[in-house]
Amino acid sequence: MSNDNNPLVVLSNAMADAVERAGSATVMVNARRRMPASGVLYAPSLVLTADHVVETDDEIKVGLPNGEEVSATLAGRDPGSDLALLRLASSVSETATPVTGETRVGQLALALGRPSSSGIQASLGIVSAIGSAVRVIREGGPEHAGHPWGRHRHKGKTSQVAEQFIRTDAIPYPGFSGGPLIDANGHIIGLNTSGLVRGMSLAIPVARAWQIAASLDQHGSVKRGYLGIRSQPVPLTADLQSALGREQATGLLLIWVEEGSPAAKGGLLVGDTLVGLAGDPVSDPEELQISLSGDVVGQPTEIEVLRGGKPATVTVTIGERN
Amino acid sequence: MSTKYAKSLMLDKFTPSFSDLVRRIQQSLVMVKNGHQGAGAGVVWGESLILTNNHVAMDDRLQVILPNGHEVKAIVLARDPEIDLALLSAEVNGIPPLPFADSRRVRSGEIVLAFGHPLGQRNVVTMGVVSSMDTVQTNGNRKSISIIRSDVVLLPGNSGGPLVNAAGEVVGINTLVVGGDQGYAIPAHLADGFVNGQRAFRNGDSRKTGVPNPDLI
Repeated sequence: MSNDNNPLVVLSNAMADAVERAGSATVMVNARRRMPASGVLYAPSLVLTADHVVETDDEIKVGLPNGEEVSATLAGRDPGSDLALLRLASSVSETATPVTGETRVGQLALALGRPSSSGIQASLGIVSAIGSAVRVIREGGPEHAGHPWGRHRHKGKTSQVAEQFIRTDAIPYPGFSGGPLIDANGHIIGLNTSGLVRGMSLAIPVARAWQIAASLDQHGSVKRGYLGIRSQPVPLTADLQSALGREQATGLLLIWVEEGSPAAKGGLLVGDTLVGLAGDPVSDPEELQISLSGDVVGQPTEIEVLRGGKPATVTVTIGERN
Repeated sequence: MSTKYAKSLMLDKFTPSFSDLVRRIQQSLVMVKNGHQGAGAGVVWGESLILTNNHVAMDDRLQVILPNGHEVKAIVLARDPEIDLALLSAEVNGIPPLPFADSRRVRSGEIVLAFGHPLGQRNVVTMGVVSSMDTVQTNGNRKSISIIRSDVVLLPGNSGGPLVNAAGEVVGINTLVVGGDQGYAIPAHLADGFVNGQRAFRNGDSRKTGVPNPDLI
């Protein structure tokens, strides 16, 4: 069999091509005493990297794929998602290409990093799981949340925002944090991080990472909203779904509303089932967290609930989580 | 959906290309026993020639187990501790030598398969990708050598075995088994230079052994 139609050779070349393509937008981030880490060119003069690898605010150096070293300043950081945005002193022509389609469990994924000036590094795996079954506790070890966020009490620690994650079995070599997780086309499906949960290879989905990068670019931080509720996901019966006028399998039953909270002021009641926020359907706590971040903070926002089996809209001025 | 069907058909084509490659390599893969604990792997590199790691070929007299299970005696022709390689002579007539690739053209992300006998288990294949080409310092004359780093799972017993590309060509000899998920291989062009230097020496060339300069001028 000639190499041109040997599927293994074709696949191998395609993967090396993907690494080369994505590697041209993967940079070295030198912002800590230990070994450098990695980052991706989000825009011609902006590098998105992992927050935990940026230990210093000044004297940040970024190593470009062509070997050139450029100074950078911190544009903003979001410890909640372990992302930081750096602004380069000069612009480059290459930028990373985010994936447009859906990321699926089982698809090929390559983790990339550029922790040294000797070239791009790669490891191979598949997407093992997508979701956010990982809760991150501030000042404590990671906790596997068997249940989604907000569903049960946990040991008195403040829960950090549970972001969506892509889990892979690609090996995260030292210095891969902040580097891209790519698909077979060389398109970015996520940003590698190991700072949130040690010992697990996790990536923040690119759509979310890009959203946070845009916010960091504009405001220097990511605002996270606060309602003041505890909730529990509940299935929506066919009757409830037809009352709602759309297919939605679950909603969030409010089991507690904090006194004086934005939710209480806006008129949310224990027993309401929250099904949407600012026009987006909300079917689980992760979706609620994501819809609660960014521009809605501080704004009067329409919250869609099922009350007594009937749809109702409540306007709540979203608070800010400290 | 039709695209999903097309994808699974494509995946079907991989199986024969994998199994063909594996069969071809295993025809030339041997096990090297040194009489002490453990055993390593070796590859048939030429007529009566086997290449393995220097640290596998601890004694000058060794046993080699051929792919058909037969055990033959082997002697060490030459060693190069700096690149951890040893060239053995053994009766391996009829076993085809493996082709090798220009390992200077190895690319990050390309598929590689490792063959060996991890923890004594015969003929184990593991797969991964080339992570990077690194340079490591040595204590010898070369001062530093290039080395292939991959994410292929390697264990003791993989030492001396081939790291093979998707076309079935040897790109390196698995050498530094760090354990688990980090493996290092001596690039095939260094191995070939070592073997050619020995051939030149055996053919009456009096130049120093181990120097990759086979052309007599």
